[in-house]
Amino acid sequence: MSSEVRFTDFKSDKQPTWCPGCGDFGTMNGMMKALAETGNDPDNTFVCAGIGCSGKIGTYMHSYALHGVHGRALPVGTGVKLANPDLEVMVAGGDGDGYSIGAGHFIHAVRRNVDMTYVVMDNRIYGLTKGQASPTSREDFETSTTPEGPKQPPVNPLALALAAGGTFIAQSFSSDAQRHTEIVKRAVEHDGFGFVNVYSPCVTFNDVDTYDYFRDSIVDLDDEDHDPSDRDAAKEKILDADKEYQGVIYEDENSVPYSDLHGLDANMSEIPDGAPEDAMDLVREFY
Amino acid sequence: MAEDLNWAIGGEAGDGIDSTGKIFAQALSRAGRHVFTSKDFASRIRGGYTAYKIRTSTDRVQSVVDRLDILVALTQRTIDENVDELHDGSVVIYDGERSWDAEIPEGVVGVDVPLKSLAEDAGGAIMRNVVALGAACEIASFSIENLDEALAKRFSSKGEKLVENNKQAARLGQEYVQEHYAEDIPEYSLEETDEDYVLLNGDEAIGMGAIAAGCRFYAGYPITPATDVMEYLTGRIDQYGGHVVQAEDELSAINMALGAARSGARAMTATSGPGIDLMTETFGLVATSETPLVICDVMRSGPSTGMPTKQEQGDLNMALYGGHGEVPRFVLAPTTIAECFHKTVEAFNLAEKYQLPVYLVSDLAMAVTEQTFRPEEFDMDEVEVERGNVVDEDDIDQYLDEQDRFQPHYDAADGVSPRAFPGTEGGAHMSTGLEHNELGRRTEDTEERVKQVDKRNRKVETAQREEAWDYREYGDADADTLVISWGSNEGAMVEAMEYLDDEGVDVRFISVPYIFPRPDLTDAVEAAEEVIVVECNEQGQFADLLERDTLTRLKRVNKYTGVRFKADELADDIKAELEAEVTA
Repeated sequence: MSSEVRFTDFKSDKQPTWCPGCGDFGTMNGMMKALAETGNDPDNTFVCAGIGCSGKIGTYMHSYALHGVHGRALPVGTGVKLANPDLEVMVAGGDGDGYSIGAGHFIHAVRRNVDMTYVVMDNRIYGLTKGQASPTSREDFETSTTPEGPKQPPVNPLALALAAGGTFIAQSFSSDAQRHTEIVKRAVEHDGFGFVNVYSPCVTFNDVDTYDYFRDSIVDLDDEDHDPSDRDAAKEKILDADKEYQGVIYEDENSVPYSDLHGLDANMSEIPDGAPEDAMDLVREFY
Repeated sequence: MAEDLNWAIGGEAGDGIDSTGKIFAQALSRAGRHVFTSKDFASRIRGGYTAYKIRTSTDRVQSVVDRLDILVALTQRTIDENVDELHDGSVVIYDGERSWDAEIPEGVVGVDVPLKSLAEDAGGAIMRNVVALGAACEIASFSIENLDEALAKRFSSKGEKLVENNKQAARLGQEYVQEHYAEDIPEYSLEETDEDYVLLNGDEAIGMGAIAAGCRFYAGYPITPATDVMEYLTGRIDQYGGHVVQAEDELSAINMALGAARSGARAMTATSGPGIDLMTETFGLVATSETPLVICDVMRSGPSTGMPTKQEQGDLNMALYGGHGEVPRFVLAPTTIAECFHKTVEAFNLAEKYQLPVYLVSDLAMAVTEQTFRPEEFDMDEVEVERGNVVDEDDIDQYLDEQDRFQPHYDAADGVSPRAFPGTEGGAHMSTGLEHNELGRRTEDTEERVKQVDKRNRKVETAQREEAWDYREYGDADADTLVISWGSNEGAMVEAMEYLDDEGVDVRFISVPYIFPRPDLTDAVEAAEEVIVVECNEQGQFADLLERDTLTRLKRVNKYTGVRFKADELADDIKAELEAEVTA
């Protein structure tokens, strides 16, 4: 089936309720294209998300999907993938969902290195609750809950991922459709946890981190001769607070995903009709 | 009833109390004797009083009693903590060479054995507890050869030399008592039988039940007293293609288990009260998305951090009502260690047949207690795996809408929708914690909302009709007094009935393993003159439920000291409650 799959097969018949012009349209399109172009189809794909604008993605895509609770999409994806390694698992999050309420899960998902893809729609604001500061909001960004700015530095998700032992760390811009798709595709193809932070502008509540701002500021790592296998070079880019980079920042080519380390290759949905044949051995152990 | 013996070893945490007790329990079990153990322990790694108690008989023993016959005391505090249980003729084994002067209560026989010196003679001071075991064997007239197998089981991985040294240490203890105390010790005879018992605790029984039932994915976060479930499964579930993940927290654990369940695996998480609190948000999602999941709550004493190493049955209301909004869930509460196995198997079947979360509520008293059973009480041939309404490519058509979209929340007459595991062709669908329509898509439409709420509840009605929500019954069905309990109180109550019988109190006893749905006890309550509900909590949470069910005021015996009921004490409490009525 996979050879005939087009990215539109991943589209549901439900029209997104995102604001017109929202960066999430482009982010999602890139995810669907990446899935189709890597040979997946809706029946072997599982998409999970938490809460917020990003959380709606499972409704707009056609695949097996779970729209869960706030911040917990990564553990769900982990369970899905470990229980059935044949599935392609893609997790979507937002900057609030992923770096605030879900920050703990983020760090541990990175270090667990389960073979799945995590795409964060980072708009540097809480959109669905109408404009409060998010963990990636700028220090002086005025919002309804931070009238004088948060007065605390934004979270650097790429640095968190690198520190936690990330094996694939990338950033893209939702409006640069081709690059974004290509980067997500590489995350899908990566053996391990593929993390992509996507600049996905909020046209309604964020008038600072706009399309124009990103268009003007983005530096493509491909133009910089960046070697993603060089961890020190990656660190330098990631800690460079003055630049907005797009591209694959770090990839560990020797990454061994969790399932390989733990010898997990079975589809756990397949179980016998009764207890395993040698189950009485479990009892005899207690003699 | 055959004569029983109550033995204990106590000292400081870190003194090897637990493993010494376990070795003796195994020796008794291998000699064909029934064993029931209990533990006193504090929430710390080293230091602090800790004890391991064993009750043994040739008859089944299923409770602790207020009596200690032989006590191995490694510290004075061990004697002080147990002084009320010592009686005339009890024996306290202690090491007089140690720096403390043991204060032996009057009437109690002090047996001073140089545990440390003898252990050193056998090859190392670390074996002093084993010297004490040898001394205890002599005092109890229990053949020391029975210890050898248990010592081999415990130490063989560390080399044959160590096993031999330990056997020698035990014999030095035995000989010392023979030489110095032959005249003083009371007569016991720990008869042996030909039975081959297995010895296990409630957490292990839950883990074993999970594997037998086809559970392949477990995610959890360590917490007393549920951790043994995870430790049991680790290394064992792998042999069957399964996996255990130690998650970063309980929130993650339940979400991982949810994910695995949506992949089609039988999945479980286990925790204790504080962990259930953290899982409660996702619990609602599990229920609304109609995902089969077994959530095990091994209760401890609450609220908040409460008393982590103490017994209580205080989480019943949380299991029944926890979470915002209204969602159906089943609540099963095994009443014995063997039933921890059987109810775990049943929990998985019910979860999948009705596509909802099942709380499996156990408690600390069962979790840390080891008890002997005949192996056939865990009959693996009887385990049936019922996966419910799972559809594949061939039968998915009947659940597609007019646009060929699969309907995971199809409004079936019995409330049970089809499940399509990911990978099933044509079954791609969305599930969500938002209220949804049959397609799984968000809706706020009033009709759709009511339809889905009703559909979820209809599953419960179906289950109430089709499953046997029964109970276990003891004693005279026509007795004037009816005692009802749930959870781990069954063993103590069964034994309490013997004490009550001696006092001329005739009791019918009903032990209920289902909290929701639960059996209808109206007739039983109406038929009795006196009804007493026994539970380890202050509020009487189960009594409240039964009062609502039966519209009858019920008497209550509640214990919330952090210690389980003892059989003799429970008999006294019940008698007092009955007499209170007479004088009132």
